[in-house]
This record gives sequence, C-alpha cells and structure tokens, in this order.
Amino acid sequence: MAEKTRETCLICQIVANKVPSYKIYEDDLILALLDVNGANPGHCFVIPKNHYPIIEQVPDQELVNLFSIANKISSAIFENLKVQGTNIFVANGIPAGQTVAHFVINIIPRMENDGINLQWKPKQLTEEEMSTVELKLKEGIQNINMGKVEEIKKPEAAAETPKASPISDDDEEDYIAKQLRRIP
Amino acid sequence: MPEEQVPQQQAPGQPMPGQAPQQQMSEEQIQALQEKIKQMSPEELKEFQKKQCIFCQIIAGKVQSRKVYEDENVIAILDVNPANPGHVLIMPKEHYSIMPQMPDSEIGHIFVVAKALSNASLRALEVQGSNIVVANGVAAGQRAQHFMMHLIPRKEKDGVGFHVPQKTTPEKELQKIRKMLSESLGSKAEETTAKVAPIPLIPKRKVVEAEFKEQKPKKKEIVKKEIKPKAEKKKESGINLDDIAGVLGAK
Repeated sequence: MAEKTRETCLICQIVANKVPSYKIYEDDLILALLDVNGANPGHCFVIPKNHYPIIEQVPDQELVNLFSIANKISSAIFENLKVQGTNIFVANGIPAGQTVAHFVINIIPRMENDGINLQWKPKQLTEEEMSTVELKLKEGIQNINMGKVEEIKKPEAAAETPKASPISDDDEEDYIAKQLRRIP
Repeated sequence: MPEEQVPQQQAPGQPMPGQAPQQQMSEEQIQALQEKIKQMSPEELKEFQKKQCIFCQIIAGKVQSRKVYEDENVIAILDVNPANPGHVLIMPKEHYSIMPQMPDSEIGHIFVVAKALSNASLRALEVQGSNIVVANGVAAGQRAQHFMMHLIPRKEKDGVGFHVPQKTTPEKELQKIRKMLSESLGSKAEETTAKVAPIPLIPKRKVVEAEFKEQKPKKKEIVKKEIKPKAEKKKESGINLDDIAGVLGAK
C-alpha cells in the first residue's frame, strides 16, 4: 500500500522529486513549494511528506510544525512580495473543495480585488438551532483525545496503515484506522 | 472573507462576535482619541486595544457567547453569522491582531485545537468536510482586530461559494519569487524544475476528475496533456477518494 500511494499521489511524487517543483522550504518531514497555478503569484503549499489525506490524520506534532512553517512563509510573503494580506486556507474533504488526496495548507497572498472569494453569506439560524449545534459540538469535542503529542512517523513509513485493534465506533484512533484500511 | 458580517437579526443581549462595537463619535472625539493613542506606550496601547476588542470582552466573559471549547490559551465560540451551522471561531485568549505576531507555540496549539474541533464537527454534525480559513489583513478579508481562525463545516451544495481561481504566473516570476521566499526563510530548498518545461504542479481538477468520478468538480479547465498517463493510472488503482470521503462522512 505504501508503494501504491506514493506512485499515485501527485504530492508524494513531488516529495519524491519525480515531478518538478519550485521548492521554497524543505526538512525531514515538511515541504513547501510554489503553486504554479496559484490564485496569486506567490501562492504556496505547505505539505507533510508523509501521506495523510486529511487533517484529522496528521499527528499533532507534525501539524504544529506545518503551521509554524506556514506562518513563517506568510510573514516572508508580507515582507517580500508587497501584498496587502495573506490567507491560510485548508480544504478538508470534497465538499470543502479538496482536490488532491494529500493534506495541503494553502498560503495565498492577497491584494484588493484579486478575484479570490473567501467570503460567505451568513445563514440565519434560530436560537434553538444554535443551541443544538453548540451542544453537539461540545459533546463531540469531549470525545476527542487532545493534547497528546503523537509520535511522528518517518516518511518511509508514511502510508502504512496504523495497526488497528478491535474497532469501537466511539474511539477516535480506531475510527480513523478503520477508514484508512479501506484505502487500497 | 468576512470574519464578521453585519448581523441582520441581533437578539437583544446576544453577543456579537461577528462585529466590532460600533459607537457613534463626533469628529472632535475621534481626534482627541487619535491624539491619546499616539501618546500611549506599547503596553498602554495593548491594554487599550484589549478594551476596544469585542473578542477580548467575550474571552473575559463580559459579553455572552456560545463557547464550544476552552482551555488555558484558546477559546472557540460559535459564529453568530455562520457560513454554515457549526461555524466556529477559534482564537487565542491573548490579543494578537495577526498571525505573524503569535509565538510558534501558540500557533501550533491553536491548529491542534482546530483539528480536534474539525474532527468533532465531522462526527457530531454529520458534515462531509471542513474549511479552515485565516485572514491576515483587510485585503484578505480580515475584519476583526483579534486574530482568529474560522472552522466551517461543509456539506455538498451548501451554498458556501469559496472561489480560489487558478492563474498562470510566468516561469521567470515564479523563479524570482521562489528565490526571494526561500532566501527569506533561510532555506536551502532548490528548484527541481531541471530543464524541463514547467509542468503544472497540482493539476488539481484533473486529479479530481479521475478520482472522484461521479462527483464532478466545478472547474476542470486544467492542463490535460502532461498528466494524462498518471491520471489514468489513478483510475485503476491507488488511493480511492471515496474512502477518504468516507472518513469525512460522505456517501
């Protein structure tokens, strides 16, 4: 599975230097590069070298490093490209606009009237609806194991499926593992 | 991106996390205030900003809000003008205007919270995805003076019309930008374009088309030639995005 993932994932191909790219930062676990079809000149991607399709699968410690690099790039863009702003944008899942099965942080330099739309029309919810959502989210977050710094996998071990013990639907790690194992 | 839209239905006594407090001031008052601000020390200025910041008021518990998560450094509340139900604002308790002001440790932590909340909303709200959006600067859509991150649960056809267009930047400019940014980062990363004509990095739409099959992406005007063989390969094998969608709770 590890092999297959790396062959078919475009980002993994870039990480493996099989596809040309404009790298701006690289370390053991992280790569940052320019998007050649960026929304604006200087549009960057920050990616984990390990293959994780969505943010929920990225170990906390890797996530911390990824966003730290993203922030530095955002500052570098401010300093060097004379832009008026930056967006940090993550699309998680197809309805959110995710187009490639590898977690990517977008850093988008912004100018006035640059044709990018990250605006929305507010939806009107009743007080009751708001309360329901509040309650559900509060409960939901309690079931998530937070603050535990997970061990970082070496890139070589990237696509290996976590060893799943018997699966309980309530258990976070197992839930992800269950989904992962369905990936060929 | 509007961090905050003007609330259209503001129930009395409700918080307005979406909006800075609006007070009517006369010209003279404004001028006097500007003078005062000029003379403040950085510490005083920060205190002043805090007092003026509606989000600092929320954090201090002086303004009501719907908190869904709170720890020592971070708070997450429901946006009163949500893009979708479950739209959450995640912010540091400390007052920072933009992300580059935040220390690394706090940035890391806030995104770990975002990950956990995204996970929670995928399950608790039965949505199929999420967007994380940060705006630094007015041009990027920032409206509040308090740094925050938006976590927006997403479903198919939910009417959230984010649009990140694809533009073509000339190769020379890309090379120039690459050099500037990598030098600024003190990075030794190299361009790996070799002597090949630039191949589009992320032929996003194409990949999607190949992998998502039925779920047609909105835009697909992207380079076909170079990546075709790869895309075809993907049809037969490889990661099945339906399964990833499964992770996100999609059909």
